[in-house]
Amino acid sequence: MKILHVYRSTPTDDVKKLVSIVSEGRDTESFDLNVETPDYDKLVDQVFAADQTICWW
Amino acid sequence: MSKKVSFLLVNSMYSLDGIRSALGLSVENMYAFANILYNEIPAMSDYHKENIDWMRDMEGEVFSNVPANCEKFGLKPITLEELGQQLRDMDIIIPYGIMRPLATNDNFN
Amino acid sequence: MAKSLGIFVTSPQNMRHVMGVVKAAKAKGAKVKVFFTWLGVHLTKCKQFPELCALADDVAICVDSYKKCGYDPADVPPGLEPKKMATQAQHGDVIEAYDCYMTL
Repeated sequence: MKILHVYRSTPTDDVKKLVSIVSEGRDTESFDLNVETPDYDKLVDQVFAADQTICWW
Repeated sequence: MSKKVSFLLVNSMYSLDGIRSALGLSVENMYAFANILYNEIPAMSDYHKENIDWMRDMEGEVFSNVPANCEKFGLKPITLEELGQQLRDMDIIIPYGIMRPLATNDNFN
Repeated sequence: MAKSLGIFVTSPQNMRHVMGVVKAAKAKGAKVKVFFTWLGVHLTKCKQFPELCALADDVAICVDSYKKCGYDPADVPPGLEPKKMATQAQHGDVIEAYDCYMTL
């Protein structure tokens, strides 16, 4: 199972902990939306390639 | 097969509406769970209590890691570790609204 | 064939991301649906909202949220079909009928 973690802001320690538990033993990727000019084209490619996308706050 | 969906509600302005939204998926035949994290619900109307009862009738649940929410409103206690394990079992995970709690604890009843 | 994408919008802060993702997905030939709820419905007042409605295959909002946020349900946001002032069942459709799912 491939999980994509998308971050809309800097992850808190609690978010990092949840990400770590959810990701354990699974194939994961991440995408940082919290930048000046996100590469939406790349993000959509990653979303389409993932089995599950989680957009953290 | 019915999907399993979990709502993560970390902001008091979003918590009660997040429960309503979770109920909306329960009635669409999904297994819906809501988790109220780090925010205390100051008051809950009969409407919201009925929403929670309805979710439970449809095999959903509302959890909280805030003891006051569990004591006052009968929500099921959950730790961050337990939540992480719950999320591993979900098809859809919804970090709802925005992270920052506002200075007021207005729950938009 | 490109996958389809459903987007659930609950934050009033992410219009640039909604537009960016929808434009990128449509450029890849994907079918896209966006559903706005709770404070996310404030984004219907953004100047890009009519463009979003023209671009996406389906845009819907929670009319109950719209009302609770102080708007008149008779004041249908420009670009939105009146029948798309709807209920949380639209969120169910986003989850069930689309290949991929995002929350913004």
